[in-house]
Amino acid sequence: MRVGLFIPCYVNELFPHVGMATLELLESYGCEVVFPMEQSCCGQPMANNGDSKGACAAAQRFTSIFRDFDYVVAPSGSCVAHVTHHFDWYLAGDSDYQSLKPKVFEIIEFLQDVLKVEGLPKPVYFPHKVSIHQSCHGLRELHHAAPSELMIPFHSRLERILALVDGITVLKPERRDECCGFGGTFCVDEPELSTAMGEDRIAQHEATGAEFIVGADPSCLMHMGGIIRHKGRNIRPLHIVEILTGRGAT
Amino acid sequence: MSSRDAILERIRRHRPQGPDLPDIHAVSFIRFEQPLAAFAALIRQLGGDAVELAEGQSVRELVAERWPKAGRTVDITGADHEEAATPHDWQDVDIAIVPGDLAVAENAAVWVSHPDNRFRSLYFLTQKLVMVVPKANIVDTMRDAYARVRITEHGFGSFIAGSSRTADIEQSLVMGAHGAMAALVIFV
Amino acid sequence: MKDDSIRHPEAAAAFLADREQARWHDSAIWWVRQKRDAQASQLPEWEALRELARTIKAHTLSRLDDYLRQFEEKAAANGVTVHWAADAEEHNRIVHGILAARQVKKLVKSKSMLTEECGLNPYLEQRGIEVIDTDLGERIVQLRHEPPSHIVMPAIHLKKEQISELFHQELGTEAGNNDPTYLTHAARANLREHFLTADAGLTGVNFGIAETGGVVVCTNEGNADLGTSLPPIHIASMGLEKLIPKLEHLGVFTRLLARSAIGSPVTTYTSHFHQARPGGEMHIVIVDNGRSEILGSDDFFQSLRCIRCGACMNTCPVYRRSSGFSYSYIIPGPIGSTLGPSRDIRKHASMAFACSTCGSCSNVCPVKINLHEQLVLHRKRAWDAGAVPTGKKMGLMAMRFLTRHPALFDLSGKVMRKVVPILPEGLTRQSAWSRAGRDLPEMPEQSFKEMYRRREEKN
Repeated sequence: MRVGLFIPCYVNELFPHVGMATLELLESYGCEVVFPMEQSCCGQPMANNGDSKGACAAAQRFTSIFRDFDYVVAPSGSCVAHVTHHFDWYLAGDSDYQSLKPKVFEIIEFLQDVLKVEGLPKPVYFPHKVSIHQSCHGLRELHHAAPSELMIPFHSRLERILALVDGITVLKPERRDECCGFGGTFCVDEPELSTAMGEDRIAQHEATGAEFIVGADPSCLMHMGGIIRHKGRNIRPLHIVEILTGRGAT
Repeated sequence: MSSRDAILERIRRHRPQGPDLPDIHAVSFIRFEQPLAAFAALIRQLGGDAVELAEGQSVRELVAERWPKAGRTVDITGADHEEAATPHDWQDVDIAIVPGDLAVAENAAVWVSHPDNRFRSLYFLTQKLVMVVPKANIVDTMRDAYARVRITEHGFGSFIAGSSRTADIEQSLVMGAHGAMAALVIFV
Repeated sequence: MKDDSIRHPEAAAAFLADREQARWHDSAIWWVRQKRDAQASQLPEWEALRELARTIKAHTLSRLDDYLRQFEEKAAANGVTVHWAADAEEHNRIVHGILAARQVKKLVKSKSMLTEECGLNPYLEQRGIEVIDTDLGERIVQLRHEPPSHIVMPAIHLKKEQISELFHQELGTEAGNNDPTYLTHAARANLREHFLTADAGLTGVNFGIAETGGVVVCTNEGNADLGTSLPPIHIASMGLEKLIPKLEHLGVFTRLLARSAIGSPVTTYTSHFHQARPGGEMHIVIVDNGRSEILGSDDFFQSLRCIRCGACMNTCPVYRRSSGFSYSYIIPGPIGSTLGPSRDIRKHASMAFACSTCGSCSNVCPVKINLHEQLVLHRKRAWDAGAVPTGKKMGLMAMRFLTRHPALFDLSGKVMRKVVPILPEGLTRQSAWSRAGRDLPEMPEQSFKEMYRRREEKN
């Protein structure tokens, strides 16, 4: 199984350790992982600001880079959702994209749905309280969990996989899936509002008594992390792959 | 071209593809094992109350017991009742006793409709509204209710659930916005 | 009327300057979302009900002209006069014509977002007709000379102290008595007089039934009922998308509307008007005002399924923290942010961007409108219309270029990582990222690509 590793551009620059943890995790489950060096941006920022031409070019570029892999995996729900749900705005009639689309997965989805893992590669002991941050695109586009608005049975991918970790206490904040206010370029279009949303979200995570905010989208964690740093709070954002590889508590 | 024709022509030109009408009966809706009890529990949260008329008791007795110091009372449940020259005639009514054709368990609504629409205003001007409903006429949901009401028959009909209310000031629920301050459903 | 030069980011920042008030606004509206959840969760068929509602509305839009003709014919047969208005001006002219011909001096109105959209109140007032809004929230904002800040809860932006002060001045209530029950009952007494002395009543329409030619109006207060059962004239203003084909379909929509809107199993009054009261007359004004244009848009016609429940506003984390007055269109929040830009993308472009694309609105919508996607689709129109700010456009053009040139992309990333840490703090603190209290992330030594390359070299 040849897996193309898709490391979103901002993860490449700002959260390389999340990329490394993803790579390590995939390899330790026996995947042959290839990271195409020429990858850049999937085009979500352009798409979200109406630049169809730029977004289309990025989508085509992404497709040509990744089309020959058996699977494509990334540690970001939002970027994966853009590829699997919104490339159709530009590439609906593109057969390369249509055959690529069902092969693109967010890392937790990939572990659960493709590898069908029932344990971690090596035992992980993480004796900490974590509060789940359910990022919006992972939640409502990739169906990582049952959104609170829908009257359907509850499920949660993140909670399910964290159950494989020893010693961990998994908590949920009040308003279990309210947006943190990152929203891509929204965070700089409306900085006051975006920051206010982030402050409220952090307070709700803190109120659970958790030491970590754990999520599957580095962008939301980056936004909340910036506010946490500014305010000098103790709670720390943590990407879920960092726990699953046993690096988290360092 | 008239506005009417221009609008209809534009819609014709622009109308999108759409699905066939669904069969709304193909989906199973909630059922209540004890619809009267469900109705009564719910209406109490909506500024109202519901009771079953006891053996040998009359509606008027029950109403008098509940509101001993009643002002003007108008009862239009019988054949022989007061008439009105204008809808404004009911402005000083304290208690109106009106027939309700149907009650809905899922939302505590009662269907009211009267052949003479001068009585329409009575439902809304009265301070206390008493709706008298045969207890066999309770249905589970609004789907069942709409299958039974004769909507165009009297030109006007309303489902009334509890008393008039508002939460427009700081989301504080206040009973008695414009219509009845109290609602009582008597199952007979 | 609303000031349509409002830009959301600045207006939201101003609203958030009073964090206490903003927090209160957020919690008050979130509470309504929770009530909605509590009601919806009691119905095992909730999601099936939404799907039925979506399908019925989608079907109706696909034959809207046929259903409008049927509606008109049935209404006429019931003795109702049907009028057609191509735009807001024509709507106002028709309403004024009916009132003027009968020497109406006072009109009592129940809530109608359509008449807000058309600017009916100032139109009639300029022509000497007294207009009294009778929904309590509408009355409050009318006395304050403000537009409603929410389509279901018009005065949700106000604290009871502000309303008490207003009523003290306007209705002569006791100074300092802030009790909502006292204030509500004072308004009740005042508005009763207006109901009893009005010459005509005007309502909006929640649903028009094609099969029967009648209209349904839902209120909790009973104001639409008093306003139509006392005066001899009832005018119902109806947007042409309000139709449903059959009576039985109300068995779907009345189950969704109040549960979605206010978290109540039904509105107190769900009233069905097919004829005027004895001695009276009833008119229905069917209004287009841009709707038939939206119908022709592949991306946006779904917004015409809207039943105006306001659930999208209650769940929207942006709306709750910025209030209705931060939006340039008369209808705020997610649904307003597609309807406004559909009407005029240049004027309302900032609404399309007032969204973190969380998607909660699309999930609460009882007719399953893809609201958050529509907002993103409007951004394309904003870009094409040149309504995206120049600085942002330049940045995205640069991004477009770099995406195609990965070596330069990586280089610029590296420059950022190296330069940001040595920038003077004063400079970074002024950036849009940081100015509201958000630090930059720590800049790692190496990018993932650099780490990966090093690892590959070692192996």
